Amino acid sequence: MNFVMYLLLAAGLVVFGGTTVAAFYWAARNGQFRNLEEGSLTIFDLDEPVGTATDAFTDKSGNGPLRRGVPLARNLKEARR
Amino acid sequence: MSATITMEPTSTVALPDVDKSLRAEIDASTRLPVVLFYGSAIFWLLVGTGFAMLASFKMNDPAFLDQWGWLTFGRVRPAHLNAVAYGWASSAGIGTSLWLMARLCRTPLRHAKLLVSAAVFWNIGVLLGIYGILAGDGRSIEWLEFPNYASAILFVSFGLIAVWAVVMFRFRQPGHIYVSQWYLLAAIIWFPWLYSTANLLLNFESIQGGAQGAVNWWYGHNALGLWFTPIGLATAYYLIPKVLGRPIHSYYLSILGFWTLAIFYSWNGMHHLIGGPFPAWMVTASVVASMMMFIPVITTAINHHMTVRGNFGALKWSPTLRFTVFGAMCYTLASVQGSLMAIPTLNSVTHFTHYTVGHSHLGLYAFFTMIMYGAMYYILPRVVGWEWPSARLIRWHFWLVAIGIVLMVVVLSIGGILQGLALLDPEITFMATLDYTKPWLFLRSGSGILLTAGHIVFALSFVLLLLKVGSPKVQPTLFASQGEDKPEPLSL
Repeated sequence: MNFVMYLLLAAGLVVFGGTTVAAFYWAARNGQFRNLEEGSLTIFDLDEPVGTATDAFTDKSGNGPLRRGVPLARNLKEARR
Repeated sequence: MSATITMEPTSTVALPDVDKSLRAEIDASTRLPVVLFYGSAIFWLLVGTGFAMLASFKMNDPAFLDQWGWLTFGRVRPAHLNAVAYGWASSAGIGTSLWLMARLCRTPLRHAKLLVSAAVFWNIGVLLGIYGILAGDGRSIEWLEFPNYASAILFVSFGLIAVWAVVMFRFRQPGHIYVSQWYLLAAIIWFPWLYSTANLLLNFESIQGGAQGAVNWWYGHNALGLWFTPIGLATAYYLIPKVLGRPIHSYYLSILGFWTLAIFYSWNGMHHLIGGPFPAWMVTASVVASMMMFIPVITTAINHHMTVRGNFGALKWSPTLRFTVFGAMCYTLASVQGSLMAIPTLNSVTHFTHYTVGHSHLGLYAFFTMIMYGAMYYILPRVVGWEWPSARLIRWHFWLVAIGIVLMVVVLSIGGILQGLALLDPEITFMATLDYTKPWLFLRSGSGILLTAGHIVFALSFVLLLLKVGSPKVQPTLFASQGEDKPEPLSL
């Protein structure tokens, strides 16, 4: 273990630990922790909105609760609420 | 195209400006790197399973195939661990992360060539590493058995992926950063640091004495907690709401879960050294941190359960959901079990027994691998532009691996506890303690056969999908990519 090695490790610790703290600070300043429940909707869009399921077994289409365009009743009720 | 939906009388939310053609474009842009990483993952899964079966059979019959040094237990067992950890789980995790990053950044994937070279480096690294271990070049450090010439190549690959992730994030569409993206960025940026630091301190320029144990388990536990766990949770946090069309139950809890994981997990590693020749305060700090892990684990468990609640019937209809929910439930089980195993009284029984092996498989297989299967079932049809050829193969895959892994964890847990109690009893000789494990190890080999069969079924399904066997199906997962938006045929 030489001096350069210790320096390298210390630098890694500062850089990576620092990045995490900086990310947390940035997120707070940027408003990432505001309107949290609305943030959870960002994975949905107009074509795949809340209430529409997007996966089913290939042989089950059109028969089951996950039919395209037919919302799961419970989800839709919640989305409207 | 943008629109608003009314959440409450007073507030409106802008839905992301993504239509189906953009989503199909994003999916198609990830095709080559995702298929490359997934393909190599499945290849290494089969290789790793082969080593696992060999190692497992040797537990029943130690003389099995021991005439060749290459195939002795001391080499086959680390070859199994590294093939499944770096070959299968990491490749599958990277493939999933690439697709998720593109979707969450809401922008087509950039610099695919960089990722293709990362995939090539990755496979060369794993291949050289496995060869090195079998040739007798391996290091006797768990999770870091790869010789230096292999780990250096893997590090280059990790580095390329980390740089890519930062570039992708820089060019994202503005807006809220979804919880999955926090997990992914954390995993992708932390892991090269963990990997390089541990390798530098242990394999390139070794530190002294007991500190080696600290570095070893700081790395070994963080590989699980800050690499595999965040990728698995990021996937579950995206796929469960997406498949059901229902937002996460409590988004606040999910963010709390992420930041508490970030704070507490990296302290946990020293609980592997309970009772070892090691500063007691470090172990104690780790045990306390292990208890603190209940916070991120319970928040995640509540969230996943409450999101699926009322829709458990959908598990019957969606392959993705079935695998992902199985994995998410096992995350809770594995984490609670892990925290309890850090309590010194319980640890005195379970340490150095097959119970620990059962726990590892509960974490890396029942949790992480099952979620990766779920992700592959969701992602591959969308990026390749072809539906899974056979629903029956998917069902066989699920039941074979689900029954296989449950059986494995149960028999190893029972066998491990019996072994641990026998080891603590001064009246029982060491050789006699081994007798307690024999029937359970035999059953474990049986569970391994079920898993192997499941993996072969899955690999077959994957090859049939890539070859686009069967007639084109428009239902049910390819809704978004039909008609004029259908991606180009796969060209590799």
